[in-house]
Amino acid sequence: MKKITALLLTLAMLIPAAALAQAGEAPDFEMNTSMENPVFHIGQVDKTLFEGPFLVTSFGQSADAAMLEALMKRARVTDYTFDSLATVEDLEGIKTVIIAVGASTKGLGSAGISEADETARAEAMVEAIKEKGLAVIICHLGGGTRRGALSDKYTMMVLELASYALVVEDANFDGMFTKYAEEHELPLTFIYAIANGVAVFTELFAK
Amino acid sequence: MRKYAYLWKNLLALGLALLFVIPASLDFLAMRRDEPIVRTDALSQVRQLSDYAPGLTGTALDTEIYFFDSGRPGGVFLVLGGTHPNESAASLAAIAFIENIRVQTGKVLVIPRTNRSAFSHTSPLDGMQDFFAITLDDGSQRVFRVGNRLTNPLDQWPDLPYYRGASGRELRTTESVEMRNVDRLYPGSLQGTLTDQVCAGIKNLIDQEQVNLVMDMHEGSPEFRYLNYTMYHERAKNVAADMAFEMQLAGLEMNIELSGPASLGLSHRSLGDNTNALVTLMETYNPSMGPLHGKMDDELVIDGKEPLYRQAHLDGHIPFKIPEEGIPLDVRVARHLFCLDSLKTAYNYSFPENPIEFTGFSDYEALAQAGLGALLQPVANTP
Repeated sequence: MKKITALLLTLAMLIPAAALAQAGEAPDFEMNTSMENPVFHIGQVDKTLFEGPFLVTSFGQSADAAMLEALMKRARVTDYTFDSLATVEDLEGIKTVIIAVGASTKGLGSAGISEADETARAEAMVEAIKEKGLAVIICHLGGGTRRGALSDKYTMMVLELASYALVVEDANFDGMFTKYAEEHELPLTFIYAIANGVAVFTELFAK
Repeated sequence: MRKYAYLWKNLLALGLALLFVIPASLDFLAMRRDEPIVRTDALSQVRQLSDYAPGLTGTALDTEIYFFDSGRPGGVFLVLGGTHPNESAASLAAIAFIENIRVQTGKVLVIPRTNRSAFSHTSPLDGMQDFFAITLDDGSQRVFRVGNRLTNPLDQWPDLPYYRGASGRELRTTESVEMRNVDRLYPGSLQGTLTDQVCAGIKNLIDQEQVNLVMDMHEGSPEFRYLNYTMYHERAKNVAADMAFEMQLAGLEMNIELSGPASLGLSHRSLGDNTNALVTLMETYNPSMGPLHGKMDDELVIDGKEPLYRQAHLDGHIPFKIPEEGIPLDVRVARHLFCLDSLKTAYNYSFPENPIEFTGFSDYEALAQAGLGALLQPVANTP
């Protein structure tokens, strides 16, 4: 009996340790960007693909969508509408869709929707975007903390549509974005911090 | 003589007892003395929170509110420090803010000891030290209490097995101690416990002084996911995003996270829901708050250095990037001060018709380099 108790106690102690080990999602890795060199490009983006009007939305309802909107403002892009819960109807008249990917349970809760609702909305948007042949820019701005099964699901949905990716490089700790960009010849820009995206977007959307 | 032997024995016993009781009493009373805060000529007035929650009058939870009124119309900014006193950088940033700010437009209100009672004790059985001292550039020292995150049970007792806050948050079983946590009881109740009344007082202050913008300054243990994050109420989305941009442009990591609907009772959720103010809450790293820290000493509290946490990060257990040299109070306080400045700038982007203007904190590098030795004023300089 004592042995069983000791075994159970040992297991109980190991569970939190295992959970802690799981928490290490974004270990240190060799980055291409730094505070001194905050922008790193892979491939050549075709700027002519991205014309206004733009629709800025979120897949996953994370706060990164708010940062994306701030980025649009700072890059002085005026020809856009922002709706983190945009639906297929909102694509009417739009030429380019810019999507902040990354899931947040807080964001979903605040929006009053479930994960299933958000996934259904995202899937419908993907279908409509494909149907209309709209240009898509994927923005992964949340870094390493915005990785995980649900966030990655939305990321992959949009990567498959995207003609260009803007990624805070901290999220590439496992090489997922580099690998995808190389395999699919997707032009991608890594930035060190979201604020470094201002110069990138200013250049990208310069008339 | 033998007749008085019992008397001598009793006096000896009493003397021996006093030998222990007197130092212990002095130690106990020292924890109840508020640290002096230097009042500059920029200060307009100091009011008490009991002006907004009368039930606090004469209690250990009544606390000072520092008013800086430019005399020019504009927005009103409320800064909360010391919600959790053991989050030392947040408390010290509020004090440094008071001692250095110059307001040009609008008003700034600062509560440096939001939970004043919580400064008077430490976390039992955690080997906490009571005080730490900051040496100023003129060689003088200022001593501060480490404090605790909860109201002192001597001031509010007992913890009930069930307590329902005004937000609807229900505190029960292991969470019942949180009924002594200011950041679980917003918007508060004037009929509730003293901690609840502090929350109600702050809500009334926001309403009566028509506060537009709130920052509740905090720190978190290294395990906490939201270090270098600012939580924001949904109405504060644009202000929070622009603030993060300002900080990132200055080379600082700052992320934002929306206040969850289930975060009832927390300032960013329940002050945001129940007042007109845009409410935000910022977190910095504090290794003395986590369970993995070693000896509680100045190296940990002031220098923010804990090799065990550094190793845990290197081993992949702690995602937050912990530098070998630690993150000292000087740097964390500078981050808080620069965040306040950035938040003000961001607010002015969104509300140019109702601006808030103050100076003293717009250069992060200068703040971090100056450190608390320069930011805190010698106590003798109080006018």
